[in-house]
Amino acid sequence: MRRLMKTALLATAIATSAAFAGSAYAEDSVLLPNLSYRTGPFAATGTPLMNGQRDYMTMLNERDGGVNGVILNYQECETGYNTEKGVECYEKTKAEGAVVTQPWSTGITLQVLPKSNVDSMPILAPGYGFSAMQDGKIFKWAFNPPASYWDGASMILQNISGGNLDSLKGKKIALLHLDHPFGKEPIPLLETLAKKHGFTLLPIPVGLKEMQNQSAQWLQIRRERPDFVVMWGWGAMNAGAITEAVKTKYPMNQFVGIWWSGLDADLKLVGDAGKGYRTLSWSFPNNEAKVMKDIKQLVVDPGKSMLNTSTGEFDWVFYQRGVLISAMLAEGVKEAQKHFNTKVVDREQLRWGLENLDFSEAKIKELGLDGMIPPFKTTCANHTGHSGAWMLEWDGTKFVKASDVLQADRAEIDPLVAEKAKEYADANQPWPTNEECKL
Amino acid sequence: MLYRTAGQFKTSYHADHALFPVKQDAWLLGIILIFAYAIIPMTASEFSFNALLIPVLIYALAALGLNILTGYAGQLSLGTGAFMGVGAYACFKIITAFPDLNIVVAIALSGFVSAAVGVAFGLPSLRIKGFYLAITTLAAQFFLVWLFEKWGWLYNYSSSGAIQVPNIKMFGITVAGPNAAPVTQYYFVLGVVTLVTWFAINITRGRIGRMWKAVRDMDIAAELVGIDLMKAKLSAFAVSSYIVGVAGALFVFLWRGAAEPNLFDIPLSFRVLFIAIIGGLGSILGNYLGAMLIVALPVVLGTLPGMLGIPIQSATVEHLNVMIVGATIILFLVVEPHGLARFWQIIREKLIMWPFPH
Repeated sequence: MRRLMKTALLATAIATSAAFAGSAYAEDSVLLPNLSYRTGPFAATGTPLMNGQRDYMTMLNERDGGVNGVILNYQECETGYNTEKGVECYEKTKAEGAVVTQPWSTGITLQVLPKSNVDSMPILAPGYGFSAMQDGKIFKWAFNPPASYWDGASMILQNISGGNLDSLKGKKIALLHLDHPFGKEPIPLLETLAKKHGFTLLPIPVGLKEMQNQSAQWLQIRRERPDFVVMWGWGAMNAGAITEAVKTKYPMNQFVGIWWSGLDADLKLVGDAGKGYRTLSWSFPNNEAKVMKDIKQLVVDPGKSMLNTSTGEFDWVFYQRGVLISAMLAEGVKEAQKHFNTKVVDREQLRWGLENLDFSEAKIKELGLDGMIPPFKTTCANHTGHSGAWMLEWDGTKFVKASDVLQADRAEIDPLVAEKAKEYADANQPWPTNEECKL
Repeated sequence: MLYRTAGQFKTSYHADHALFPVKQDAWLLGIILIFAYAIIPMTASEFSFNALLIPVLIYALAALGLNILTGYAGQLSLGTGAFMGVGAYACFKIITAFPDLNIVVAIALSGFVSAAVGVAFGLPSLRIKGFYLAITTLAAQFFLVWLFEKWGWLYNYSSSGAIQVPNIKMFGITVAGPNAAPVTQYYFVLGVVTLVTWFAINITRGRIGRMWKAVRDMDIAAELVGIDLMKAKLSAFAVSSYIVGVAGALFVFLWRGAAEPNLFDIPLSFRVLFIAIIGGLGSILGNYLGAMLIVALPVVLGTLPGMLGIPIQSATVEHLNVMIVGATIILFLVVEPHGLARFWQIIREKLIMWPFPH
């Protein structure tokens, strides 16, 4: 026992000294870390996304030797969706020389957002984070392409109202949301729209502890009989809500989720009973796209992926969305290399790259992402890009497209973005804004 | 050899009751303080400040608060996380209502809010004890976190329901908020922690501390010798909640920068309780040792594979981390059930004897 204690003490001493020392990174590679969560209550939804992100980067390194000869050093730092771990990972990857941070949780985004100005660290939060990050003049370092939550809320309403929001007059829409900054994001916009178009908004929060057992929430839904249930769920909450909806026989064609509420595995659980469930999505899986074929050939088949092949994860919306997220980041690196005529980009240069993403039809084709994402373009004033999104519908075995590309109502959203962005900047004085942007 | 007490004669009762009857203890503390105040700030990296040093100090402070209640006064509490939340939200409200107020004053005031809430939830301790009391503090835990979620006034009706720390200056230097330098925050936290620890050492050694210990060891006997149980128990709740509240304010303002209600949920209470138990109930030093084990060890273990160049998935490291830390906790408790502080005491006694075992 005594020897054991000595060994333990020695190990601790070594570990402590190691933690204080810095670390080196190799030449001609860029460190693109991801604050992942393959553990914890959100692992089920996180893992396929992380797998997709990882596999695209691996594929680029295998196929092209990185981007213009620079290896993309994709690294994960496990947070378990825990904000405390998030800070730790942010600091750790920053010390290692990361050029970007991908916080992967609205809570962690809220913590790192104010620091991004001080540390000059670009935040890439595709399809999540704070909707007001769209305002690139105020949020110089934060990016949420290709669509924000407010875009999502607007598109869902358009789709369920059949294109005319006034037809929702007198109807009742329940917002089943996670009781967390993420779930509360759409509320300001939905409240404004409810007032304007005369429908009733009924927010039904689901606490982090009640995710798996939502009987109380669904009892309320049964009592209130809303015309539509819109879901802002994540992780275990989605599976809980979908099974509960099946159990209470809520009509599936009146149940719509945001893009994070469309995990194939959750609907496979209920199979045919989930037929008619819709989810908004700015991504669509396409196994015939060149990128997906390359990933299969170069990454999945040689066993370099962490993908779970037995569940058919490769075909899932989430896995291929992860691929798209990495594609945006890699394009940001490429744009920055081209503009600054350099190989290894730094944070400031990558920020420029992310600000000048141009996913045009032609570019999407050239990258081999045909049909996987609608076109979008970011500028220094618009960090979201507004790709629009498709409504997907569960047909019993997989998601199929149920609409053309929907577009959010900019006239409703942009004033709210300006207002909230200003509010944020005022609360965090001194808050530097991007004065160079003349758009 | 190192700890030779021979030749250190005490010639008065006063000298015998000094804080450090053995000279070497005072030297050791001096060395630790020099390290904490001078050497570490000069050498540590930003990562070490934000992921190791500041959190260890803050968690140790919270555990110290809990230890006064549980370790010294014997009242088991499971609501520490919520009381930290009270301190944090009180500080947020004070700072946003009076932006020009000095942050030290705001933190000190928020401690009083937490103390008041602590006393209110401590009232049942006059009639019930042990596990039953633990249940009422658990109720406080659930109620307060629910309140943080539902009462919009607390977070100034922000749409995300989270509180954010603005940039706060003190004497021209930014001490809190995103623009604050980690080393400034470290000194701020260290200063507060040193002050509170000094206060805690003295209060637990003196009349009030002895009163608490008497209540802890047997409350009927304490009552019989003339100790006012109500005063003893409620003062323990007040002092403990004050320190926990200050720790909570530091937790959000000097470290996290933003907080959502579920941060103060029961896992935080358990974490602080673990620190207090593993460090050693009824000890001041133990809180620091416990915090190092519970807070710093996982962070250090997490960086090891990267340092040593072992190619291993981050998620796997996390799984291993949980296993290693869990095993270490059990190991330490089996080897020394009274916690790390007692462990140090044994080492110290052995050192005094060394190299002659008898």
